[in-house]
Amino acid sequence: MSTSGSANVVVIGGGHNGLVCATLLARAGRQVTLLERRGFLGGLAAGEEFHPGFRSAGVHLDTAFFRPALAAELDLEHHGLRWREREAAVYAPDLAGGDPVVLYPDDVEATAGGLQTHSDSDGSAYRSWCSDVGRLGGFLRGVLDAPPPDVDSRTLGALWELGKKGLALRRLGQRDMAELLRVGPMCVADWLNERFATDRLKVLLAVSAITSAWTGPWSAGTALPLLVAQATRSRSVQGGPAALVDALTAAARAAGVTLRTDCEVQRLLIEDGVVKGVRLQDGEELEAGHVASSCDPKQLLLDLVSPRDLPPVLVRRGLAWRNRGTTAVVHLALDGPLHFTGCEKAVPDGLVERAILGTDIDSLERAFDPVKYGELPDRPCLEVSVPSVSSQGIAPMAPKGQHVVTIQAHFVPYGLAGGWNEDRRQELRECVLKTLACYAPDAPGRVLAAQVLTPYDLEQRYRLSGGHLQHGEHTLDQFLHLRPNPECARYATPLKGLWMCGSGSHPGGGVTGMPGALGARSML
Amino acid sequence: MAQTWDAIIVGGGHNGLVCAAYLAKAGRKVLVLERRHVLGGAAVSEEVHPGFTFSVCSYVVSLLRPWIIRDLQLSRFGLELIPLECSFLPLPDGRSLARWDDAERTRREIAGFSQRDSEVYPEFGQAMAQMARVVKPLIDAPAPKPGSLHPRDLAELLKLGKHIGGVSAEHRLLLSKMMTMSAADFLDEWFESDVLKAPMSVSGIIGTFQGVRSPGTAYVLLHHYMGEIDGAFRSWGFSKGGTGQISNAIAAAARHYGAEIRTEAAIDHVMVSGGRATGVVLEDGTELRAKTVVSSVDPNRTFLKMVGKQHLPDDFVTQIGRYKLRGSSGKVNLAVDRLPSFSSRPGLGGHLRGDIAICPSVEYLERAYDQAKYGEFSSRPYLNVVVPSVVDPSVAPPGQHVISCFVQYAPYNLKTGPESWPEHREAFGDAVVDTLAEYVPDLKESILHRQVLTPWDLEQEFGLTEGNIFHGELSLEQLAFQRPAPGWAHYKTPLNALWMCGSGTHPGGGIMGACGALAARAMLTGRHV
Amino acid sequence: MPLPSPFHQRTSELCTSLLWKEWAGYYAVCSYGMSHEPEYHAVRQSAGMLDVSPLYKFDVIGPDATEFLAFVSARNVGKLKLGQVGYGCWCDEHGKVLDDGTVTRWGEQAYRVTSADPSYAWFSRHSRGFDVQVKDVSSDVAALALQGPRARQILEDVCDGGDVGDLRFFYGTHSKIAGVRVDVTRTGYTGDLGYELWMPAQEALKVWDAVMEAGKPHAMLPLGLDALDVCRVEAGFILLGVDYFSARRCMTDVQKSTPYELGLGWTVHTKRGPFLGRDALRREKSTGSVWALVGLVVDWDELEGLYNSFGLPPQLSSHAWRTAVPVYDQGSQVGQATSGGWSPILKKNLALASVHAAHAVPGKRLQIEVTVEFQRRKVSATVTETPFFNPDRKRA
Repeated sequence: MSTSGSANVVVIGGGHNGLVCATLLARAGRQVTLLERRGFLGGLAAGEEFHPGFRSAGVHLDTAFFRPALAAELDLEHHGLRWREREAAVYAPDLAGGDPVVLYPDDVEATAGGLQTHSDSDGSAYRSWCSDVGRLGGFLRGVLDAPPPDVDSRTLGALWELGKKGLALRRLGQRDMAELLRVGPMCVADWLNERFATDRLKVLLAVSAITSAWTGPWSAGTALPLLVAQATRSRSVQGGPAALVDALTAAARAAGVTLRTDCEVQRLLIEDGVVKGVRLQDGEELEAGHVASSCDPKQLLLDLVSPRDLPPVLVRRGLAWRNRGTTAVVHLALDGPLHFTGCEKAVPDGLVERAILGTDIDSLERAFDPVKYGELPDRPCLEVSVPSVSSQGIAPMAPKGQHVVTIQAHFVPYGLAGGWNEDRRQELRECVLKTLACYAPDAPGRVLAAQVLTPYDLEQRYRLSGGHLQHGEHTLDQFLHLRPNPECARYATPLKGLWMCGSGSHPGGGVTGMPGALGARSML
Repeated sequence: MAQTWDAIIVGGGHNGLVCAAYLAKAGRKVLVLERRHVLGGAAVSEEVHPGFTFSVCSYVVSLLRPWIIRDLQLSRFGLELIPLECSFLPLPDGRSLARWDDAERTRREIAGFSQRDSEVYPEFGQAMAQMARVVKPLIDAPAPKPGSLHPRDLAELLKLGKHIGGVSAEHRLLLSKMMTMSAADFLDEWFESDVLKAPMSVSGIIGTFQGVRSPGTAYVLLHHYMGEIDGAFRSWGFSKGGTGQISNAIAAAARHYGAEIRTEAAIDHVMVSGGRATGVVLEDGTELRAKTVVSSVDPNRTFLKMVGKQHLPDDFVTQIGRYKLRGSSGKVNLAVDRLPSFSSRPGLGGHLRGDIAICPSVEYLERAYDQAKYGEFSSRPYLNVVVPSVVDPSVAPPGQHVISCFVQYAPYNLKTGPESWPEHREAFGDAVVDTLAEYVPDLKESILHRQVLTPWDLEQEFGLTEGNIFHGELSLEQLAFQRPAPGWAHYKTPLNALWMCGSGTHPGGGIMGACGALAARAMLTGRHV
Repeated sequence: MPLPSPFHQRTSELCTSLLWKEWAGYYAVCSYGMSHEPEYHAVRQSAGMLDVSPLYKFDVIGPDATEFLAFVSARNVGKLKLGQVGYGCWCDEHGKVLDDGTVTRWGEQAYRVTSADPSYAWFSRHSRGFDVQVKDVSSDVAALALQGPRARQILEDVCDGGDVGDLRFFYGTHSKIAGVRVDVTRTGYTGDLGYELWMPAQEALKVWDAVMEAGKPHAMLPLGLDALDVCRVEAGFILLGVDYFSARRCMTDVQKSTPYELGLGWTVHTKRGPFLGRDALRREKSTGSVWALVGLVVDWDELEGLYNSFGLPPQLSSHAWRTAVPVYDQGSQVGQATSGGWSPILKKNLALASVHAAHAVPGKRLQIEVTVEFQRRKVSATVTETPFFNPDRKRA
């Protein structure tokens, strides 16, 4: 790429992946313009004021998957990024007011110790599970942090890469390899039932397997997402996703990226299979030799490119892409802390930062069942975060003594039978608050304001097809070289100059930065 | 002086008999021991009501390997297969869809629901035929051994890789989707009409404890396209005289080659001495000695009941303990005094000479599954109904008929415990009859006899642990080189001189015969018998 | 089980031979009498009338109709004038032929497409992003082909309006027959002067009766598929499922064909905006095709000599054949003849063949396999341009 007019790079979408991609390209000397539809950067990771004096920390709250090596490469610490000293403990309160089950993501021993009170065997079971997962994790990280294998190519290089993967798998040892192949396609319920007795421990672990999934814990293939989550979790960012976005934005500016907000791309300009630039909603046309899209694949393939310009196979792939959103997000402004019953002893100050509300694996499955019929669950599984707890004293998100609670509610169907409207949104709000009240009886009375984002709202607000937070379901058939499809899996697309760098590409959704980084690397 | 055999086969089901026939054909001295008074295991015909012969459990045949039919000359020993003419789906609103051998007729039937689907249907069939071609070597050969560095295994793996590599990229993508997706999602990519998706997706869940929306169920769709009868793709068939006739033919072949077969010979346990299996002890105390013991019963029963943990490595016992069986289906057989007449297509017709699916929508199937997940049988279950007496008059008195209903879901593990099934048996039978009567109005008046088999009955009567008709779920982690346990997918077991040849081994359940044949082949080529 | 066509009541009365076959799900007459020869001669000397209702018919309507059809066809349909008919094929994205047929522009935004295979799913799949409606009217529209030198006169006698007599080759007009609105196009599958009549299925019999009546003084006969088959070989027209296979139904790439390989290169316009298969077709146009479709004329004297050597006179069926036989060049196979037959009017033994492109040189002598008394032999055949039979009246 030269730096003359048509050699510019346009990055579509100012979420964390777009920012990572743009920054890496700019640092390599490219002229990069990043276009964000909304008035500010960050996408799903952006913090926003949703009630006077109350700011959310973003929709994607878990920053523990952002790769430290990438943060180092981008000098994010230089741009203000701080890692947390201690990870937030995750509580599973008891409906009956008993002791919560507590998971300390960064402390196996503390977790195992705490489990003793719930089960004789789960403490040691947890230790051995963690060590098993840890062994498999090394291999998985290697797979996830590299571009997906090129299985269709017969070139020596591709075969060499594939061979290396095979050898790495082989190096796991016969037993671990067998275990990986056995567990990978399993359902998470079976896997956890094999290992643990405590119901709420299983809930705490299973949730990461079914977040935004169109599958319940009894569906095959759900063990793998849990394995992946365990393998790639590290430290969280101090101040949450909003702070990460600030650092990424500063890094992008420093690298010379032109950041343009309030710029909605209407269509890609393509001539004879070659990308020439983009046309904005207001009619402005930007010339570019390369366009990197961090939008979801469906939007890119079906909306931003005319079917006349796209090989029909990609239209088919776009249509086949599965991104049925199942998570709703509710931001609450609370006039005091969130108290869970039974947690008084474990958390004397009452400031729980993360909690997962579900009684057992079957309760998750029952929360999932109605999604298949386009219905709301009676009792959704709630992933509750109180980001204002850790932001106190740093960058307050709420007036003193008051709190911001962000709830991810599973499972709420994008395709609600009869469609979404204000009534149904209110119904969802009540359903979430009622469920919350089962564990935190005084919470509904403390709610000053609630912002309810149904999957449909998420689609409209964030231009997220299907309202799917990960740009596409994390299933085996949308994994590795199949993400988002074999033609585009290595970030390049069959259209010359068009690249993908969003969560719809390997290794997928969540705040990891990897699709953006791997996309930029393959462009370079 | 006690007699000694080269091999004692535990269980006289079709796989045990196939294995025995192959071993006997190779000159080995073989004894088959069957617990019941009839041979065939789950592939059995019995006169349950005077004049009416039921294919009690398994009721249609598709995957019986043609090479086994040829090798064992089964047609000479009485095997006759009659192809199914049609797949019929009656709907509660009085409409119906029948899919025929006649492509144009099928196209017109489907076009009544969706014109687009009517044209995509043959394209789908063609893609599936290609897929079946790709997969076929996998079910006709022992499971691959990934991770093994033995030159022979590497060569096998390479051959397989080459075979897969010779497949077009598009077809490889299709294959990976089939291996990982749910049947419903997979079909969503092709079709828009529920009346097509429901009966097609359902083949992905037969005998499994999964719903059509559970990932990993898509590949079973292929079985429909692999059903070979004499080499013809895509045909399912009845066995004349019921599926027991298949077992009888195989038994006749085995006897012809010199195998001895004893019924009502229940085995108490496998004798182990010096770290080897040395024979079996019958329930009546009789000891029978053999150089090898080959078990065609499911892995759970084989290892945990007949052999015993104490003779096996702990790891292996854990693995077998984790092996999922979870039966999910039952069977209701009806003797009726008249032809079942469907309100959507009254009277006799080609639609009765095929298989009839009661599953009006994907949602219907999913709701049936949801109930089962929490330990109840489906109040409106999926039924796969056949009326074999329409093509084979030998199974019922003239003018009267046999209706066989395969029923899903009927979870072995009821909320109230599996042993409570006998209390729920009749309610379960009622649910089935009520469901079918919605489509066949005068069904209830026509019933002369009703046989209800719950998963509990399948376990107690037929020795299928947890009533699983496939000797273990056909889920991805229990297939190929992991069936029944990683490292033990090649018919050999950790106990010397003990082998497996049942559906709990690769390539799995269904009346295929491949498990028995491949096991015999493995034993013979390794000179283990 | 085939269905009766809208003309079945009439055709079944006339079909005394009871020789029927299935065509696209309908009963179709092979020949009305035990021999199809009178019907053949009617087409070449007076006129024949064929029920072509089983053809698939689609209406493509909407603001983007032109753009859409141009996108799915290898032919630049955008160039069709009002009332003009274009013959062409449509390809998959790899430039392999799916089907061939005609496109008639009946209005600024309204087209009628005919095809041999059901194509609704394919059309609607690719209509994403176009403001267009595709409607399958196959069973609503009945169709007759009136073919032969007297066809024009018969139509002039029976048609009410539409200036049918002045209708140019591959154009269409609206007219009325027996009070029924009929679309008339000057098209056909016989390579002769001829027309096709399109009408509402429920009024089809009125039109049949009127045209039959008008045809009587001109010695017109109802025409079956056997005679048509001889005509189409003489005209050098390819047939889907015989001379080539739809890429949709092919299991391997080798089984597929491109327009250039089928002699349809003249219908392909690559110098225009994106259309399905364009890049592959452009490549093929510049690098050349692997296969070519050619006409073969079998050497009569050699054939006669071959039969003589068995002590037999030449024995040729009057039916066209469609079982492929190998074609050789000096002993090595260079292709296959896919259909052919004896041309009564040319007195020649003809074949249509796909051969390696290098052999598609008019005048080149190849050999075709002939089986005499169960023994396979080879007889010379000369590569010839098609149509074999091309009377001036076809276009005049």
